[in-house]
Amino acid sequence: MIEVRNLTKYYGNFAAVNDVSFDAHSGEIVGLLGPNGAGKTSTMRMLTGFMPPSGGYAKVAGYDTFKESIEVRRRVGYLPENVPVYPDMTVRDYVMFWAKLRRVAKPKQQVDAALERVQLTDRRNTLVRNLSKGLKQRLGLAQALVHNPEVIILDEPTIGIDPQQVIEVRNTVKELGQDHTVLFSTHILAEAEQVCDRILIINNGHIVASGEPAALRQQIQPGVQLYILLGKHTPGKVQQLFKAIEGVKHIEQQGDGYVLDVEPGHDVRADIATQIVEAGYALLEMRPLAMTLEDIFLNIISDKDYA
Amino acid sequence: MRGTWLIFQRETKQYFTSPLAYLIAFAFLIITGLIFNNDLTLSVDVKPANPAAVPNFLSFGMIFFAPILTMRLLAEESREGTLELLLTAPVRDNDIVFGKFLSAWFYYSVLLALTFSYQFILISITSPDLGHAISAYIGIWLYGGATIAVGLLFSSLTENQVVAAFLSGTTLLFLWLGNIAGQVITDIEMARIVRTLSLQGHFATSFGQGLVRAEDIVYYAGLMAVMLFITIRIVESHRWR
Repeated sequence: MIEVRNLTKYYGNFAAVNDVSFDAHSGEIVGLLGPNGAGKTSTMRMLTGFMPPSGGYAKVAGYDTFKESIEVRRRVGYLPENVPVYPDMTVRDYVMFWAKLRRVAKPKQQVDAALERVQLTDRRNTLVRNLSKGLKQRLGLAQALVHNPEVIILDEPTIGIDPQQVIEVRNTVKELGQDHTVLFSTHILAEAEQVCDRILIINNGHIVASGEPAALRQQIQPGVQLYILLGKHTPGKVQQLFKAIEGVKHIEQQGDGYVLDVEPGHDVRADIATQIVEAGYALLEMRPLAMTLEDIFLNIISDKDYA
Repeated sequence: MRGTWLIFQRETKQYFTSPLAYLIAFAFLIITGLIFNNDLTLSVDVKPANPAAVPNFLSFGMIFFAPILTMRLLAEESREGTLELLLTAPVRDNDIVFGKFLSAWFYYSVLLALTFSYQFILISITSPDLGHAISAYIGIWLYGGATIAVGLLFSSLTENQVVAAFLSGTTLLFLWLGNIAGQVITDIEMARIVRTLSLQGHFATSFGQGLVRAEDIVYYAGLMAVMLFITIRIVESHRWR
């Protein structure tokens, strides 16, 4: 559905997107994960036909985003990061405007369906300027899906809204993924894992890793980290105890707690718990440490030659 | 065509629902009303009333009205980010510009049509030269379209409405002053060229006097075409930045 080959975008001499290639199939939610300035927005803008690439090409539903831009724009729903709205229109008029502009066959039904989908039906006659940030975000979503596009492109749709709304937006995105191709950008790792079928990690304009969330985590996380907090204990003895357990690579003391690096394929939690209790210490806490986006980047960047 | 029509509809609706547009209409009608009244009082027992008094004033007044009418059109879209959505909707860039231009010109036409009431008053108390009035109205309608096209161009250049209004006001003032410059330049050929390029030079001595000349129509139509062409290119350039 989306076909991107060697896509490149230069701003002056600066390559914002550099030789990016990927595919996205129908009914798939693909996440673009990366820090600010990684090239996510530029990639999306090229896919929507907003701007032409400096090199390479992108095809949406078989149409070239530059040469057959109008055809592409008919088939793409786009929600930019800042959620552009016309403050002086009502919710319904706003969605209706975009529906008509995108040549929706039965605009009234489609607009009502879109508002229903983002749960804005009861606010249909409210002026857009009076909506909260979260509601504007949903309005933006309604605008992006009103023409039932084959591809929906969402640029950081969960930024700056409250946790409840974040969950709702994520759920809507998951729902959309059932019958649309969704390209979704975020800089929150957990969000990408939760929502997407496939993740592309992008940094400095390059795709540095890609794959299904679970596989990707395995690939980029060379083992598991455990955090262990103990009650009153003698550090030296405990360190020895940990060292004796098979699979523990590295031990680091952090205050009363310890961070253990565990080799992949070993589940040492049961061993640790038994041994600590047998030694007569109180095990207050034991939890796996999730990798943050920063860790992953450091990891990948140290693995490859992306400086 | 369809895109132009939809954009035109949206903009026109915005004109008729925004307080600013009503303030502009208020100022427009108050000032033209005063101008009409003033001409009428000065004419009593002295000369026939001038049926082109209001259009004659507007040939100066549009320097101020056109920038205020047009400053919002593209500057706001650009600042709010809605231009990005418009540019990713299946409409051509020229549909966007034409729709906005026609909407502003339409709003101006409505304001102008309201001033016909002065003509009805005039007809009811005297017998004005209707040909003169019609010619002046055709002229000021085209003149207004040209000034609106200039305003639209500057609205596309910046995200700041005040800057857009200031730049288009200044440009229109220069285009208007060309007429006066043409009158004081001693080199007759040079004076003719300057005057031919000025807004006023194609109104004051032709439409304003009851004369409809093809060259004046071509001048205003040409000015609109050039301004709109540049505006479309500027809107398009958002894609290349």
